[in-house]
Amino acid sequence: MDIAIRALILYLFVFLLMRVMGRRELSNLQPFDLVLLIVIGDALQQGLTQSDYSVTGAMIAVGTFAALQVLTSYLSYRVSWMRPVLEGHPLVVIQDGKVIEKNLKRERITVEELAEEARQQQISSLEDVKWAVVETTGAVSFILRKSS
Amino acid sequence: MADIPDAIVLKRDRDLVGRIWEPWIRRVVLLVLTVFLALALANVFGQKSATVERRSPVATLAIHAPTTLRSGLIFQARFRIVASQEIEQATLVFSREWLEGVTLNTVEPSPIGEASNDGQLSFDLGHIRQGQTYDLYLQFQVNPTTFGSRTQETRLFDGKTLLLTHARDVTIFP
Repeated sequence: MDIAIRALILYLFVFLLMRVMGRRELSNLQPFDLVLLIVIGDALQQGLTQSDYSVTGAMIAVGTFAALQVLTSYLSYRVSWMRPVLEGHPLVVIQDGKVIEKNLKRERITVEELAEEARQQQISSLEDVKWAVVETTGAVSFILRKSS
Repeated sequence: MADIPDAIVLKRDRDLVGRIWEPWIRRVVLLVLTVFLALALANVFGQKSATVERRSPVATLAIHAPTTLRSGLIFQARFRIVASQEIEQATLVFSREWLEGVTLNTVEPSPIGEASNDGQLSFDLGHIRQGQTYDLYLQFQVNPTTFGSRTQETRLFDGKTLLLTHARDVTIFP
């Protein structure tokens, strides 16, 4: 019982943390960020199952996380007003080759980082981009101008 | 405006109409998180030890142990008895709150005898000469499912004569 409650509390805490950390941190995982994520997972485990080494305990913990994840996606799908709360909205950062600095600043993304993202998608110049959108996952989608 | 990507609403996703509050929510949550971490640094969630002393004409009992703990923590409690007068048969009696939901791992030095005093753990420490100090170390671990506040009472006897009562409040965070 207490494992399920601990899992619920930690799920909500991590969910909140991931939402407020911003998309930039989630999309641009540097090697150090990856190590940090593993460390966070390890720290969570200590509080989750503590000294319970049983298979039952692990099943309760993992089952609770899975159930909460399904519930979250169900709520996001069924309840339209919860979708922005749970997932956020996309953010337009380029329109017609012009960078919208205000929107970049909001996600703490520099023009150089945006250009790097573009290069990774074989786009050499941001001026060729019709639309660039920071998606709710943190990934940046580029739509090229028709002439490009 | 047919070339706007599907599901993109320019007012909302480009001009941020109705989304002005979003950064503020993030800032507030981060502020709450910072306060939480500052409180942790200030030992609000344990487990720094503190000494609380009680005196009687015959003896002084000082308990050095954390007053704030968290589930699963290992901690030490030191009971220092300083005899102002001769104590023929020093006995420490611990209230149930010392051991309920807490594992007692080690007792050093081992008491001469152990007993249940009306349901409470009792350690017979033997003779303590006038002016001498007796240190008893207890190593505990909070059980992972234990949390809440409690008052731990320790009574020092000389035989059947109560010398002093020592009470301390402990908070265990989940």
